[in-house]
Amino acid sequence: MAKKPQLAIDTRPWRDTANNKPFVRIRSVSKKFGDVIAVNDVSLDIYKSELFCLLGGSGSGKSTLLRMLAGFENPTSGTIEIDGQDMTDVPPYNRPVNMMFQSYALFPHMSVEQNIAYGLKRDGLPRAEINARVAELLALVKLEDYGKRKPHQLSGGQRQRVALARALAKRPKLLLLDEPLGALDKKLREETQFELVKIQESLGVTFIVVTHDQEEAMTLATRIGVMNQGEIVMVGEPTDIYEFPNSRFVAGFIGSVNMVEGIVTEDEPDHVRIRSAELGSDIYVGHGVDCAPEQILWWAIRPEKMVLSRDKPEGLNGANVTTGVVEEIAYLGDISVYQVALESGKRIRVSQTNSVRGNPDAITWEEQVYVSWDEDAGSVLTS
Amino acid sequence: MTATRDPTIPPPRRLKPWSAVEKGLARVGITGRMLVLAAPVLWLLVFFLVPLAVVFGISLANKQFGRPPYTPLLTSEEGTVQLTLHLNNYIRLFTDNLYVAAYLSSIRIAALATIITLIVGYPMAYAIARAPDRWRNILLMLVILPFFTSFLLRVYALTGFMRGNGVINQFLGLFGIEPIVMMQTDFAVYVGIVYTYLPFMILPLYTTLVKLDVSLFEASADLGARPVHTFLFVTLPLSIPGIIAGSMLVFIPAIGEFVIPSLLGGPETLMIGRVLWDEFFTNTNWPRAAAVAVAMLLVVVVPIMLLQRAQGAVVEK
Repeated sequence: MAKKPQLAIDTRPWRDTANNKPFVRIRSVSKKFGDVIAVNDVSLDIYKSELFCLLGGSGSGKSTLLRMLAGFENPTSGTIEIDGQDMTDVPPYNRPVNMMFQSYALFPHMSVEQNIAYGLKRDGLPRAEINARVAELLALVKLEDYGKRKPHQLSGGQRQRVALARALAKRPKLLLLDEPLGALDKKLREETQFELVKIQESLGVTFIVVTHDQEEAMTLATRIGVMNQGEIVMVGEPTDIYEFPNSRFVAGFIGSVNMVEGIVTEDEPDHVRIRSAELGSDIYVGHGVDCAPEQILWWAIRPEKMVLSRDKPEGLNGANVTTGVVEEIAYLGDISVYQVALESGKRIRVSQTNSVRGNPDAITWEEQVYVSWDEDAGSVLTS
Repeated sequence: MTATRDPTIPPPRRLKPWSAVEKGLARVGITGRMLVLAAPVLWLLVFFLVPLAVVFGISLANKQFGRPPYTPLLTSEEGTVQLTLHLNNYIRLFTDNLYVAAYLSSIRIAALATIITLIVGYPMAYAIARAPDRWRNILLMLVILPFFTSFLLRVYALTGFMRGNGVINQFLGLFGIEPIVMMQTDFAVYVGIVYTYLPFMILPLYTTLVKLDVSLFEASADLGARPVHTFLFVTLPLSIPGIIAGSMLVFIPAIGEFVIPSLLGGPETLMIGRVLWDEFFTNTNWPRAAAVAVAMLLVVVVPIMLLQRAQGAVVEK
């Protein structure tokens, strides 16, 4: 496999906020529906050519935030700036923004071509230019032969592509996508994910995608904003979100995680030791943590960051090893997930790569096993 | 896998009190399905098809003094049965200007009234369809509410508003405005038709509009269409089935309307319903009246077929 090209630093403007102006600037925006606070004091900067994912469960406010960017809802307070212009009170039809709807919202009485041309016609473009642009977009989404069809004569995947083409027709500076792949089946979704990223990269349009599917967010996004109860709880690149979650909510929301409670026994600048009765061992963390001795906190570790063995490993400074009995094994082909019951009764999940083919010596049910991990394999969470 | 019954257990006996009746009917070739279908068929036969045939028959007779006031179609003389059909009633419909003028005038009044009803009803239907959920049923109820009173009574009530010393003129009088003559004019007929048939326009429009996905309007706005354009290019084309259905429900009965033109209209308000009434009761020319009725039916059949096609289109969606 070819070496992954290293992203130049200037393609990640969010890492250098001093020299880059955000393209979309959401400043302390709140939205209330009656007594319900849908979006609560959200501030967010999104840069040009980003593919930003708003990730959250239902009712997290992610769709409301997107609808405020499109102009369908007005913020109760706060301002929204797009490309340096205040958009807070600009109606949707005057915004340099287009949206791809979750239901696609294709006009049922118009053909595919008419759907794509709709926005261009409203702008009063000459007919020849509209036709050229429609043909170009049909080629982009690989629907050249479907221009004369009506939406109801298309499959779900084709409709999704028409919706994308229509949203891109006016060359928006910013494209909003509401669950763009939600209505597709799994296989189609995976194919379309990469296609979407390819289109986004080739056009250089800024995408803001709303999704509840963390896998989708991880695949698509340059950065992810995790939302919960109307607030953005973490913003970061997919690896940050997965490997360095900032709270128990983020750690639990993305991927699977083992979370234990512990108490700080050693708090040094270069390491921390946490005693966890739940885990049945001490946790030695190889970096300083902003905490105090005797503080109760949480430690989260991903299943694939732990190692299973029959023989007791050495451990690390008398820590980072615990033992338990294998209760369940989920064989997924590439990996197996083991559910291990620790002595405290706590169950943890450990996944192991099945690197040996049909391994007869694999760890099996009811076996006493040791679970160990590296000094920086887990995240210490204080909230 | 299919479930198999244990052969040692006898199948449960089901009590069938009607089985005897069922068997008896089956012996003469009647099934329950036929009985169920027979009720509406019989109803239509007795109260619709037979009277229609009678009317059609009378239309082919000639007027005569006596009882009944038309010549019999069948006469028997010395064992031979003779069938006499007169087409002169139909010929008169085309040769006498009164009838052609009445038909055209009816169509014109009905068409204009339908357009006015559409213009008045569309915004109402739209507003109800876009109203918050808790309001929608109340508003619909208000649309249907007039049906709790008799149609005749409501038309009479309108005269109270529009007559010389009626509510409207008294109100205008407060500002020193001279009374306006509204009664016995075409204007009053239009008011009557629009007022009476408005619910028939609103309800089908509402059902079409309420089904439209709000995100279609949002998508239109998002693509740069101002509200006017969204209405013209998205809302209006998608509500065409409702417009056709509502218009037909107003247009068809309005053509043959009798009560409204006779109570509110003036002597020059020419509508086929009144002509028919006059033929029947004033001139006692039953055959002519019957011919007028049959011709009116034919005039109305075309819009009915249009209506059915429109409804078919709605069902398809």
